[in-house]
Amino acid sequence: MTTIASRSRLVVLTGAAILLAAPATYGQDDVVERGKYLTYAGGCISCHTEDSDDAVPLAGGRAMETPFGTFYSPNITPDAETGIGGWSDDDFVNAFWDGVNPEGEHYFPAFPYTAYTGASREDLLAIKAYLFSLEPVSSESADHDLAWYMDTRLAAGGWKALNFESARFVPDPDKDEQWNRGAYLVRHLGHCGECHTPRGLTGVLDADLEFAGSEFGDENIPNISTHRIDGIGRWSVSDIEYFLDIGMLPDGDFTGSSMVDVIEDNTSKLTREDRLAIAAYLKSVPPAENANN
Amino acid sequence: MQRKIIAAIAALTATLSFTALAQTTPEDAMGYRISVMTALRGHIGAASMIARGLVENDGYLLGHAQGLNSAASELHRVFPEGSNIGESEALPVIWEDSEGFAAAIAKMQEATSAFVEAAEGGDAEAIGAAFRNVGMSCRGCHDNYRVPQ
Repeated sequence: MTTIASRSRLVVLTGAAILLAAPATYGQDDVVERGKYLTYAGGCISCHTEDSDDAVPLAGGRAMETPFGTFYSPNITPDAETGIGGWSDDDFVNAFWDGVNPEGEHYFPAFPYTAYTGASREDLLAIKAYLFSLEPVSSESADHDLAWYMDTRLAAGGWKALNFESARFVPDPDKDEQWNRGAYLVRHLGHCGECHTPRGLTGVLDADLEFAGSEFGDENIPNISTHRIDGIGRWSVSDIEYFLDIGMLPDGDFTGSSMVDVIEDNTSKLTREDRLAIAAYLKSVPPAENANN
Repeated sequence: MQRKIIAAIAALTATLSFTALAQTTPEDAMGYRISVMTALRGHIGAASMIARGLVENDGYLLGHAQGLNSAASELHRVFPEGSNIGESEALPVIWEDSEGFAAAIAKMQEATSAFVEAAEGGDAEAIGAAFRNVGMSCRGCHDNYRVPQ
C-alpha cells in the first residue's frame, strides 16, 4: 500500500511541477497549439458546432433550448462576413470579459461570459489565435427564437446590470497550484456550473447550490458537489479524473448522457494533470443536497 | 462409462435449455439481461482499479477480464424481442438496427478478447490501453442503444 500511496503522490507532484513550469514554456510559436488546447478546456466546440454528424466544427448552428426560448450558437470560424474574422484582439477579449459584441451590444448569458469573465487575456488571445488559424466557413448565424420579453438585447443588458460582474480569476494564495488550476478550469474556462448548478427564475446560477445539479432541456444534470449520496462525494480523485478521461462511473457503468459529448470533445483531450486539477478542485466543493427531485 | 456421462449431460442440458426457453417470460429475459449487465459493470469497476494502479493485480485481473469476455460473448442473446418492458433501458433502435447493434456487440467481444490477452501478458501499459478500449466499447453501445441517463 505504501508503494501505491507514494506513486500517487509522485503523480500529483509531477502534475504540479508541469503546471508551474507551463507558463514559462509557452513560446509565441506554439500559441496556436496552446489555443487549441484551451479551446478544448473551454468547451467551445460543444456549443458552437451543429448537432449533426457532418457538421463543420465551430461554424455554429447548434440549437440550445432554454426556458427563455431557443438560442442558436453563432459561427466562430474566422470568416469575415459570417464569423469572427473581422474581430480585433480587444473585441475578442471584451466578449468574454464583459459579454459584449464588437458593436457594444450585450450578449445573452447563453454565451457563458459569466464564467469566462475570469479567463486571462493571454489564454483568450491564444484561443483567438487558434480560431483564426482555422479555415473560414461561410455560415450565417441563425436568429435566436426567444420569448417576447427576451426578444431584445436590452433585456440582456438589464439582466447583466443586475447579475453580472466583470472580474478575472485571482488565485487563492492559501491553496496550492493544483487547486487553483482546477478552480480556474472548473469555474471559468470549463464553465461546469452552467449545466451543473441550478438557476433561479431569471436564469441566474444559485451560488448557494453550486454544483447541486440542474436540468437542461429534458435532461437531469447530476449533482457534482461532494454530497456523499446526492453528489460525487464518494468518488476519489482518480475516479473523477478517469471519468473525465473515458466516461466510466466508479461503479463500472458508462452513461450515455450529454456528458459523453463533453468528455469526447473536451475533457478527454486535456492533460491528465489538468483532469487531476479539476478533480482536486471538485473534491473541495462543499456538499449540497440535490437541487432537483 | 465416459460416453454415458457425456450423453447424460447432453440430455440434461437439452432438457434444461428446453425448459428455460419454454418458461422464459419477457420479465425473466429483462431480469437476466440486467444481471449480465450488472456482472459486466462489476468486472469493469474492479478491472479499472487494477488498470489504474489503485489496487495490486496479483494475478486477479485475468479473472475480471475473462468475466468481461464471457459476458460480452452472450450479449447477443440477452436482448430478445419483447423484453423491452418495465424499467428496461434498452432503446427500440436495438431491434430496428439489428446489424448496427450486432456490430457494436462484436466490438465489445474483440475488445474484451484483447483485454484477456493483455491481462495474460501482464504489461501495465498494454493493460491500460486494452482496458480503455473495453470502456470505449461499453460507451459505444450506451451512446446509441440505451436510454440516456
